Amino acid sequence: MADDGSASNRRDPIKSSVGNVAGQRRRQQAVTVAKERRESLVRAKRLCRVGTNGGDDEDAFVENEMMIDEEQPVLEAQTVKAVEELKSAVQSQGKGVMQKRVTALRELRRLLSKSEFPPIDAALSAGAIPLLVQCLSFGSPDEQLLESAWCLTNIAAGKPEETKALLPALPLLVAHLGEKSSAPVAEQCAWAIGNVAGEGEELRNVLLSQGALPPLARMIFPDKGSTVRTAAWALSNLIKGPESKAAAQLVRVDGIVDAILRHLKKTDEEIATEIAWIVVYLSALSDIATSMLLKGGILQLLVERLATSDSLQLLIPVLRSLGNFVSVDPKAMLTILVGGQNTEENIINVLAKCLRSEHRVLKKEAAWVLSNIAAGSIEHKRMIHSSEAMPLLLRLLSTSPFDIKKEVAYVLGNLCVESAEGGDARPRIIQEHLVSIVSGGCLRGFIDLVRSPDIEAARLGLQFIELVLRGMPNGEGSKLVEGEDGIDAMERFQFHENEELRVMANSLVDKYFGEDYGIDE
Amino acid sequence: MAMGMAVGELGFPYWNPLRRRFPPDSPFFASGNVERELLAKQVALDFTEDEITNLQTIVETESRRISCPIVGCPERLKSLDNFEDHYKTRHTASCSVCSRVYPTSRLLSIHISEAHDSFFQAKVARGYDMYECLVEGCGLKFKSYKARHRHLIDKHKFPTTFEFFKRTQLSKKRREKLQRQRVPKLKHEEDKEEASSDAMEVEDKASLDGLVSALSTLTTSDTTPSNVSFGRRHGRGLTFVPRSVHREKPTNSSSTPGSKT
Repeated sequence: MADDGSASNRRDPIKSSVGNVAGQRRRQQAVTVAKERRESLVRAKRLCRVGTNGGDDEDAFVENEMMIDEEQPVLEAQTVKAVEELKSAVQSQGKGVMQKRVTALRELRRLLSKSEFPPIDAALSAGAIPLLVQCLSFGSPDEQLLESAWCLTNIAAGKPEETKALLPALPLLVAHLGEKSSAPVAEQCAWAIGNVAGEGEELRNVLLSQGALPPLARMIFPDKGSTVRTAAWALSNLIKGPESKAAAQLVRVDGIVDAILRHLKKTDEEIATEIAWIVVYLSALSDIATSMLLKGGILQLLVERLATSDSLQLLIPVLRSLGNFVSVDPKAMLTILVGGQNTEENIINVLAKCLRSEHRVLKKEAAWVLSNIAAGSIEHKRMIHSSEAMPLLLRLLSTSPFDIKKEVAYVLGNLCVESAEGGDARPRIIQEHLVSIVSGGCLRGFIDLVRSPDIEAARLGLQFIELVLRGMPNGEGSKLVEGEDGIDAMERFQFHENEELRVMANSLVDKYFGEDYGIDE
Repeated sequence: MAMGMAVGELGFPYWNPLRRRFPPDSPFFASGNVERELLAKQVALDFTEDEITNLQTIVETESRRISCPIVGCPERLKSLDNFEDHYKTRHTASCSVCSRVYPTSRLLSIHISEAHDSFFQAKVARGYDMYECLVEGCGLKFKSYKARHRHLIDKHKFPTTFEFFKRTQLSKKRREKLQRQRVPKLKHEEDKEEASSDAMEVEDKASLDGLVSALSTLTTSDTTPSNVSFGRRHGRGLTFVPRSVHREKPTNSSSTPGSKT
């Protein structure tokens, strides 16, 4: 393993010169995956393959290859054996008992970390958990704590019932997050807790009531280190909700907002990524956090990250945080307008940068953010309309996949309409924007939405068609809509199951393509 | 969800810009969340960028299928193209007699009854309420085609130009001609319909023959393009207008049936 002890190597892939063939096979296996495997990849839990103390040299080449080629039943048999060994080591007394325990733990840990499909179930059935809990007792040597926490981490990375098996261990894991623990031990415990929190709301609540949040939060105060990163990730899993109480608890931790802002501003991208996810959840779940962060100038920091980074991992949560702030807080909207010239331009520009990206998620969520800005004041709409985002949006409406198209539709429509004052008023059309957008060629895209099976998209399409029919000068709207097969698309709803759409389409056809349509020309 | 309830005289929900907010576990954010985890495990498992994209696509396409919007249909399709195919095969029905295509089997069967079924016409002639409302769940039936049409417009807000109006293909002259023809003819037919429903008490051979002859004029297409096409492209589609409503034809004669086209 490439190991020079620095923190950033901790996540290095398992490399070895001998291992290329095995590596290839591993890759092939990984890609042609079974459904279960796929699900495990997108679960919020992370297997620990390299230890938090920089990896063991002893673990190098030899063990790796053998593990990878093992058949599952053999692996399971070895696991059972390892648990038996551990049991005897835990029960024995006298000289050398510490070493025995560590050796047994290490063996189990290897079985649980190196293989493609860790034999978690076998370990559980053999009774590993109570033994591992015992090995976490206070006063145990660091190595023992570390190996035990590592085993628990990987057990928790499995299926839901496997994660739940960690319940007896939780109080001890939380305890070892304390400031007196050595950094690698605390980090490994944080990792295990992160996996447990990632499982679901029920387990999150258990952790919260056991007081896991404050010590975890304190672990992100240092400026750097892998501990900060792991703790931030675990924290983001802990507060993700959908209940807001964890987020509310976090923001009450003294100094946490400062730490978050500090990391977003200066820290390397890996840590900033996990911190950004914390911001995502805070901005979605806690009003207090939202206003504190805004007051601390988070918008500018987010914009800078968006402008300067190319890491998709970082961009996703940063963009989403920005989106949350814009969607939730009118103050944020004001900041966009009122903030110095730089901030204004920059927010729209970085969003345009995201629209230009090849990554689908960025395009979609950037369009979402723009749609919320476009739902603001006339000044906001003018800002977007005169920016470099416009040609991008028009192009995306015709060419992009459906989910992006829908968001872009929201932007374009919002640009053309003033927000209604009272509930009954018919919102006024901003003709200048409507004309320019329609002449940019967007009508086809909207009519395509009308044909889509998605009810919401079809509704959007019909609403935009109404704008065109009502708002284009000189009654050109009807011709334009007809020219793009709009009538045909609307007729699809004559027998559609959805009554609202049926009525909408019919009323448009009735009003604008009635009997006198086209007669006097 | 997003659009405010700005409803005007049309009853139309106008576009109203509103900010849209999503909770963190909303499906809206699902693909970003998937991406997060795949990228995080990329390092540990030594995936390449391509493999990640591959996995991402597999996960996305499986989880984000399109549910068919037709009520009662459980299908979930992989792509828009698949949806179009599914829609065509499952939710459209075509008439074996005249090849017209309809979006539901119910509508198809209504068409068959009204256009190709002599017993239907026999009952109409006797004054039964045979013309079903086209909107599923309504249940009302009417004595005449016209009455049902009125109901569709009044009760279900169908466009008034439904079925009478021909767009795009006709020239201005043709349209004017049709408009002029339409008015007197309809009145004529309407009178006849009502008269026949009043008069018909006893079934006799002559009138049955007449019905048969009237029936034969209902089938297939004629050279005049006359109606709005629904859903499926030009020319094919829902034509609920029985020919007898448009043509000037003596329905009660027992002479040879008119030209069957």
